[in-house]
Amino acid sequence: MVLFAAFAVMMGSCVTDPNSPGLEYMPDMYRSPAIEAYVDYGMDTYHFGNDQADSLSNTLSARKPAPGSIAYVGGDKAGLNMPYPYPNTMDGYEAAGVGLKSPLATNKVNIEKGKELYTIMCTHCHGKTGKGDGAIAANGLIMGIPDYSTKLKDLPEGKMYHSIQYGKGLMGSHASQLSQLERWQIIEYVKVLQAGGKMPEFDAAGNVMAATAVAAPADSTIIQ
Amino acid sequence: MNRHSFGPSWYRSLIICLFLGFVSSATAGVWEGGDPVKGEQLFNANCASCHKINKEVLAAPGLGGIAERWSASEELLVQWIQNPQAAAASGDPYIKSLVERYVPTFGWMAAQAVSEADIADIMAYVQNPPGKTEVVDTGDACPTIDDLDQGSSNSSATIWFIILFVLFLIIAVSASNVRFSLNNAMRESEGGERLAPISYGMQIRAWAWKNLVFVSLIGLFVVAYVAVVGYQSAMDVGVYEGYRPEQPIQFWHSIHVCENEVDCQYCHSSASKSKHAGIPSTNVCMNCHKGIKNGKRWGEKEIGKIYDAIGFDPTSGQYIENYEEKPIAWTKVHNLPDHVYFNHSQHVAVGGLECQNCHGDVAKFTVGRIAPVEEINALIDDYPTLIQLSKPTLTMGWCIECHNKAEVDLTKSGYYEEIHNRLKKEIRGNEELRNYLGDDKVTVKELGGWECSKCHY
Repeated sequence: MVLFAAFAVMMGSCVTDPNSPGLEYMPDMYRSPAIEAYVDYGMDTYHFGNDQADSLSNTLSARKPAPGSIAYVGGDKAGLNMPYPYPNTMDGYEAAGVGLKSPLATNKVNIEKGKELYTIMCTHCHGKTGKGDGAIAANGLIMGIPDYSTKLKDLPEGKMYHSIQYGKGLMGSHASQLSQLERWQIIEYVKVLQAGGKMPEFDAAGNVMAATAVAAPADSTIIQ
Repeated sequence: MNRHSFGPSWYRSLIICLFLGFVSSATAGVWEGGDPVKGEQLFNANCASCHKINKEVLAAPGLGGIAERWSASEELLVQWIQNPQAAAASGDPYIKSLVERYVPTFGWMAAQAVSEADIADIMAYVQNPPGKTEVVDTGDACPTIDDLDQGSSNSSATIWFIILFVLFLIIAVSASNVRFSLNNAMRESEGGERLAPISYGMQIRAWAWKNLVFVSLIGLFVVAYVAVVGYQSAMDVGVYEGYRPEQPIQFWHSIHVCENEVDCQYCHSSASKSKHAGIPSTNVCMNCHKGIKNGKRWGEKEIGKIYDAIGFDPTSGQYIENYEEKPIAWTKVHNLPDHVYFNHSQHVAVGGLECQNCHGDVAKFTVGRIAPVEEINALIDDYPTLIQLSKPTLTMGWCIECHNKAEVDLTKSGYYEEIHNRLKKEIRGNEELRNYLGDDKVTVKELGGWECSKCHY
């Protein structure tokens, strides 16, 4: 009988239930009493006791920062995390287009980092070359994404930043996914796409060589 | 919007109109005579990012039934498209009603560089869209290796096995009872004495003594079986391979990553910045799903759960004001015990590892799960930098095996260069450290990746 019981338990442990993470050893070492992200403290009756664990069950351990918090990275990047002054209106969009300028230098580091980030964050809609032909557009899910090199050729960098900050039309705000520095780095690469997508040549110090510099927006009849 | 450029565009459209009017007097208005095929191209290029051709709201009102609705003149429609603010300045009451109704919600439409003839084509398309061509199903190119119903059959087989075993025991016990009663009845009929009732334990013992060889063989087998299975299940403690919990939303990685080429780090954007790769917050879902309201497999059901969580009305295309947002309770899949420190940014940004190295080909997954190590090793053809490992995924053996094999690119980080320089200084007179350089490569282990306090503190 004892053997049978042991046998049944062993058989039971062979069951693979994809909903069960499996056995833990020393479970008290698995969950931290200090607050960590993505931990449901309602499961931690060992540290909190049954009553408190019940009240913590299914609550978020990751919280939003207090209103008005300024992300501080340190060094010269600190200036990039100040609150955004333009309101989320069409007037704010126009004002950002005129008044908002990139604090970054147009150089190798920023353009290449921008390309890397653009590939991660933008290509599925805007396409690898910025023609608005990403996979989501090709699959017919979101259409009419404008081409940087034609329709948006003269879009000023301030308006690009405004669109990343608040979103525009169907595009949502990407402020939660990108730091201010990263947004400006992406814009450095979008400016390359506006000029046709050919990477400029860089000198030894990483600055854009004058002959291949991205052309300043010419007076054009294209409206945007 | 560039105010300087209205003039030239206006002239251009005027010239085109005059030219067309000269050539053919049939292009009388924007409502008739347009080419719907050309109009479809123009619509998709210029209008489709905000408007739909039916009445559905995207980022602006749908254009379905516009011909019946539009109660201003045709010239004003053309002007409204080419330069909305100038059209509004005309003081037409219908335009005024449009401005009051839609501009506070959607903002002004950007002035569109389309001619009057283009608008006629677009209107022809909007009023009479040709039969919708089916979007090519890319499902074959993006197979999912996870089938949703797996896992349940195994557990039911075990339950049947146990039920059969219990049934067998019951039958055996009742059979021995029957035999005992029959025996007694026989003895009584022969005038003998009744047998004293003996316990089941005694009966089994008597039977076992009679069949000693058979019983000891069975016993040996059972002991060996319990030992092997016990050892295996003991080795499974703390191994989470194959863990695939049910999630609150049927989120398929294959649809997002493979079919629509969304990068891993678009949603898990903190993988390069923080300890956690991050489960995307609902606003990240909405970056696409504000426009994509119908899922490929579950229609509006699963995507509707996002709207329910964040408070978005898909019919009006607007967020509901003062909505109490409900967090989506995703179940975390890759859990490490608290006594292990793991940092994603260290591995993604500094180490330059591919996501697939630890997570497998998630682009072919349905919901998230822990990929077994054999499955990850098989990806070597697609990801040549993959490090081949043998221990189960997410165990300590797996971690340190990788730390022993993974090479460090010293040029990428000043930190590692510094550690390496210190190592070189210490190397004089230290044979063990000198051995590190024997294979001409610097692994994570050699730079301290096997020190306990790197991960446990």
